[in-house]
Amino acid sequence: MKKFSLFLFILVSITGFSQDADAILSRVVSKINTVKDYSVDANIKADIPLIKILPVKASIYFKQKDKFKVVSKGIAILPKQGFTDVNSFLMKKSSYMAVDGGVKTIDNVKTNLITVIPTGENSEFVLAKLWIDSKNDLILKSQITTRSSGTVTVDYSYGAEAEYGLPNQLIFDVDVKKFKLPKSVAADLNKTEKDKQKSKKNKDQKGTITIKLSNYKINKGISDEFFKEKDKN
Amino acid sequence: MLLKNTYNEFIKILAKPRSYLGIGALTLLIGIILFAMKADGSSFISFVTASFEQTLSFNGNILNGNLIAFIILQMLIVHIPLLVALVTGDLISGEAAMGTVRMLATKPISRTNIVLSKFIAGAVYTLILTIWLGFLALIVAKWIFGTGDLIVLNSDGLVILKSEDILWRYGLSFLVAFLALLTISTLSICLSAFAENSIGPIVSTMAIIILFTIIGSLDVSVFDNIKPYLFTTHMASWRSFFEDPVPWGRIQESIIILLVHNVLLVSIAIYKFNKKDITS
Repeated sequence: MKKFSLFLFILVSITGFSQDADAILSRVVSKINTVKDYSVDANIKADIPLIKILPVKASIYFKQKDKFKVVSKGIAILPKQGFTDVNSFLMKKSSYMAVDGGVKTIDNVKTNLITVIPTGENSEFVLAKLWIDSKNDLILKSQITTRSSGTVTVDYSYGAEAEYGLPNQLIFDVDVKKFKLPKSVAADLNKTEKDKQKSKKNKDQKGTITIKLSNYKINKGISDEFFKEKDKN
Repeated sequence: MLLKNTYNEFIKILAKPRSYLGIGALTLLIGIILFAMKADGSSFISFVTASFEQTLSFNGNILNGNLIAFIILQMLIVHIPLLVALVTGDLISGEAAMGTVRMLATKPISRTNIVLSKFIAGAVYTLILTIWLGFLALIVAKWIFGTGDLIVLNSDGLVILKSEDILWRYGLSFLVAFLALLTISTLSICLSAFAENSIGPIVSTMAIIILFTIIGSLDVSVFDNIKPYLFTTHMASWRSFFEDPVPWGRIQESIIILLVHNVLLVSIAIYKFNKKDITS
């Protein structure tokens, strides 16, 4: 009887936590759902050991469910995962289950850590950890593990568009260990041993991409054709 | 008299069909590269960015005229020396083979000035070849592919340069590339002073370039002391202008070594031609 009571207690606890996690997530998702489309000006600063690039200005366009376009005059580097795909994934409620991971504090803000586990075997997502400010229904931090890109950690900051769940700054942590330079193209006769050692040292570091977002235009309507057009710049 | 003789030497270069072979070959090669890049340039780019693209996405016009010009320069700077040596290699020995060198030596001009005028005429031809390369690589490529930021792959990673920060780099890199090609021209003229036939100096020039390039690329410590003094080591220093920050010290060193080679080779040619017993 004692054993049965303990089992019942654990089951109820897990179910209770899961329901909490589901409720928090669904509030976040419904906030995200209020945005049908948006365009925003972005200032992208990439600080990655193997890549030297100056900050780039670009315009980012998004339309539900998963239409995404970056227009920039120059070359802009963005992380492949973790930008809009998390939101798109969270909208498919049947494709994942949420588990409450307890309360954690980020920058003096109490957050609920929610682990999102995909239910489908062939999902691109392996695991997503979300630190959610349940008071304001905002994601403050995410850690997404995908099959193709490994793990990406994103820190979110919010401004005037917090009511739509749209951030004004994103900081991505990029793992550069996977980066390899093709030797035949990178051959450089003038490189000294010192330079080669320096570039080897760089490979062990992590990189960050900081995206500052401003001038949001939300739900103004963007045609589907716009996303099919090739960037003429 | 030097200028007049230089003009005559240049007319002689223009009169040779092989002088147009270089320009024709350059036009054909660049035409093929431009066509290939237009047809399937994106796969060439993905070869460079593939390992980055697992994690990052590159947005914007990557395959632009600036990148194509860089690819053309990188591909052709190895082959252009042959086109230069083909013309400059027989400037002295060709006269010996045809028997006109004796007549040339009877003119009221010193032997030193004869060699100098051939050197200047060879330099003008090399300059024309470099300008033509620059025109096709940069202006035609920009016309076809448009302009944009330049993505350069160095041994220590990717460098992405802003489009407004590129033109001066190309200007200076073409000057250094010209200096490198001028060294080839001077080497072949120098070898030409020693030969009595046309083909010998041309083949010898190419053999020296191949030999020095192999020594330069061998990662063996025994050659470490001589590598910095081989002119072939500095032929790729035009590439340094596309690093960030630009390694000015290293470029200056390359320019000095190439200039020393030029002065030394011209001096040897002058000495040899002055001492030469002209019997043909």
